[in-house]
Amino acid sequence: MAALRNRLFQTLLRKNVTGITSFLSSARAASGVSKSMLPGPYPKTPEERAAAAKKYNMRVEDYEPYPDDGMGYGDYPKLPDKSQQERDPWYLWDHPDLRRNWGEPMHWHFDMYIRNRVDTSPSPVPWNKMCMQLFGFIGVMLFMFWLGEKFPAYQPVAPKQYPYNNLYLERGGDPNKEPEEVKHYEI
Amino acid sequence: MSSLVRIGSVFRAGSQLLSRGPARVGFRKAGGGVHIEPQYRQAPQMTRNQKFHAEFLSSAMWFWILWHFWHNPDAVLGHFPWPDASQWTDEELGIPTDEEE
Amino acid sequence: MFIDQLPQMFLTCLSLTMVLLILPIILSMVTKPLNNWPLYVKNSVKMSFFTSLIPSIIYLNTNMQSCVIYYRWMLVSPIEINISLQFDQYSMIFMSIALYVTWSILEFAMYYMHTDILINRFFKYLLTFLISMMILVTANNMFQLFIGWEGVGIMSFLLIGWWYGRTDANMAAMQAVIYNRVGDIGLMLAMAWLLINMNSWDIQQLFIMTKNMDTTIPAMGLLLAAMGKSAQFGLHPWLPAAMEGPTPVSALLHSSTMVVAGIFLLIRLHPFLENNNKVLTAALCLGAITTFFTAACALTQNDIKKIVAFSTSSQLGLMMVAIGLNQPQLAFMHICTHAFFKAMMFLCSGSIIHSLNDEQDIRKMGGIHKIMPMTSTCLMIGSLALMGTPFLAGFFSKDAIIEALNTSHLNAWALMLTLIATSFTAVYSLRIIYFVSMSTTRMLPLSPVNENNPLIINPIKRLAWGSIIAGFILYNFILPNKTQMMTMPMSLKLTALIVSLLGLIIAFELALLTNKQIKIHPTKILHNFSNMLGFYPHTMHRLMSKLPLMFGQINATQTTDQSWTEMMGPKGIANLQLTLAQKITHMQKGLIKTYLSITMLSLLVITAMIIYF
Repeated sequence: MAALRNRLFQTLLRKNVTGITSFLSSARAASGVSKSMLPGPYPKTPEERAAAAKKYNMRVEDYEPYPDDGMGYGDYPKLPDKSQQERDPWYLWDHPDLRRNWGEPMHWHFDMYIRNRVDTSPSPVPWNKMCMQLFGFIGVMLFMFWLGEKFPAYQPVAPKQYPYNNLYLERGGDPNKEPEEVKHYEI
Repeated sequence: MSSLVRIGSVFRAGSQLLSRGPARVGFRKAGGGVHIEPQYRQAPQMTRNQKFHAEFLSSAMWFWILWHFWHNPDAVLGHFPWPDASQWTDEELGIPTDEEE
Repeated sequence: MFIDQLPQMFLTCLSLTMVLLILPIILSMVTKPLNNWPLYVKNSVKMSFFTSLIPSIIYLNTNMQSCVIYYRWMLVSPIEINISLQFDQYSMIFMSIALYVTWSILEFAMYYMHTDILINRFFKYLLTFLISMMILVTANNMFQLFIGWEGVGIMSFLLIGWWYGRTDANMAAMQAVIYNRVGDIGLMLAMAWLLINMNSWDIQQLFIMTKNMDTTIPAMGLLLAAMGKSAQFGLHPWLPAAMEGPTPVSALLHSSTMVVAGIFLLIRLHPFLENNNKVLTAALCLGAITTFFTAACALTQNDIKKIVAFSTSSQLGLMMVAIGLNQPQLAFMHICTHAFFKAMMFLCSGSIIHSLNDEQDIRKMGGIHKIMPMTSTCLMIGSLALMGTPFLAGFFSKDAIIEALNTSHLNAWALMLTLIATSFTAVYSLRIIYFVSMSTTRMLPLSPVNENNPLIINPIKRLAWGSIIAGFILYNFILPNKTQMMTMPMSLKLTALIVSLLGLIIAFELALLTNKQIKIHPTKILHNFSNMLGFYPHTMHRLMSKLPLMFGQINATQTTDQSWTEMMGPKGIANLQLTLAQKITHMQKGLIKTYLSITMLSLLVITAMIIYF
């Protein structure tokens, strides 16, 4: 780290620019986006479409903008809703851990479709079937738990019975008083 | 003719290889333990130590299980017999017979 | 003379245990890295284990327990937070066991991770992980417990994501941390409730104060916390995903740290739940569904580590069932015995995975018993102990839990599920053995098979002895707090065994069935449900990540801008001004008389006010 800092310092010195100005020249607020980075207006003519497609490194056939309904998409291409996780892991991507090539158009919701967020890869079982089975399982379990609560399982056990009038003397009863006889049985 | 000779030499080498069985490589100490060469399509060699330990541990386990089963079967089969109420006689319970009443 | 000094010895050794653990961490901060740092860490844990044996033996003989307050840490107006350690039955026995298991795991990690350039850091993480667990176990107030709790959480995150270059590992680490956050909400809720109502975080004081109170809220919070940490149904998917980490991490995570922390929390704070039937029933049902669901998922997995992971989850469910039965001691017993054989099973699978060129799929193993007899023997001992074979470690806790289950008055369905899950245990354990150890080899033709490394054999052997003997020792030395049901009909006594045997027979039958294929297209509904983890990750993770992200994205990038900076901002102001201007223009149309009269009227009023007030 120190070495890196030294080198940076040296380059700064060599450029003959010192002090805070050297940093200021390269500093730019992260908040603002230049106009060229924003999507342009919605393309109406085929020529505009072609120009927009070229801007986004796409073929005209693939290019399909979002509908112009005032949501501010402009000419941004509407890409299929597919996550990066779904892409081929064995292809030689320029950026293998994002599974993305250089200059490739990004999905409008690219943040959402990066590899450790939303995954849209096809599953062996269709979505509604998966949901149905999972929630069916949970539902059945809840119902059965409710039923199990209604009809609990237990070993019938009676309270303990002891001889000598429930151990009257042994439990510190008064020996002078005759306790009433405890009967545990009925005939 | 020479090709036949060559075939013969190949066969000889092959039969030698076959008869030799898995290559016996000397054990080499590296990184603390015995080093065993990985073998292509052959079961790797094993040391006696490892066979012995495996046998020893499994026999110890079985000894432990059986020895305890012999001396302490209660832990598995129940410590106290469960009373069977249907076997109790009236006499034991002190219930007078119906005629006496 | 000697007896008089017992308490001093007891406390000295306990403090020494902790100091020995912390020493390497401190040293690594002050000095240059040592030459053989992993060995040093391993030895300090080993020494710590032997030191911790002394107080444990003293405890077992004299029943000496103590609670040491070292110093007052802070005094925030209502509460006083002390650094105080509680050395009771639970913490002392658990400490020894955790140290023993970690010692073995660290030794194994010296072999398993020896090619990793960051092995020093790895060992530091493992040690910090262990220390956090020790803090959690010995904590005597909620704050200290929380530190340990979070420490365990963050260390698990770092360790699961150890190979951070891989997106899968990152994802698994994120899952672990996010699911744990959900659980933490519960713990925070409980802590906040206790602080508001009790003005104290000292556990002993809390027990006394809440004796006659309704503690449903904190108890539910604690249950949620345990649910997150111990991967109970609903918050379970992080546990199998955590298999992305290195095998020693999985072993440590699943045996003596992290996942048992949740159950341990409930054991430690059990008096809150004790008289609360609602929460106990919730715990029982949660445990039952967890043990069943995860056992069912384990049935069809093909990744050896995943199977072992799901079996852990299933055992955690069983521990939760024991908590729900109001028998925390049995849950504790199961934690202790489970640590041995689960750590060993992970080490065995780690050894096998390394020997087969990092192959984890059990379908590509086979015949391991002929080429790695030691490892496969230990794997089998572990599986047998897990199934509850009589007199191995698992038996003493598992059988006791099932007996307690059979003789209690409880939810019939929970009992049912637990018994089915127990037989599933036998099925998947046999499946591992059948695919890994038996029959012919199906692995790559050139595999660097070698288990003759003392760093592999010694820890596995040590844990194997533990899983044979530990159950018996613990069973004989831990005195139960509650009266156990001793008398029961033969059928109930044998249930656990019968159910396991039944599972074993079914598994054998299934294995035989595969020889002759009856149906070409088998019905796949159940298989898919089990193999895809009950669809839980597929549906929940996608839904739960998609909905908020979609909402957030559209909100942040579009609707917020459009509503606030556009509609409320320039457009809104313009509209407002326009309407106002229009209104005013309407009013200002040749009404000079009205204006004049209004001015006169107001002048009158003002003069009147000046005169009269």
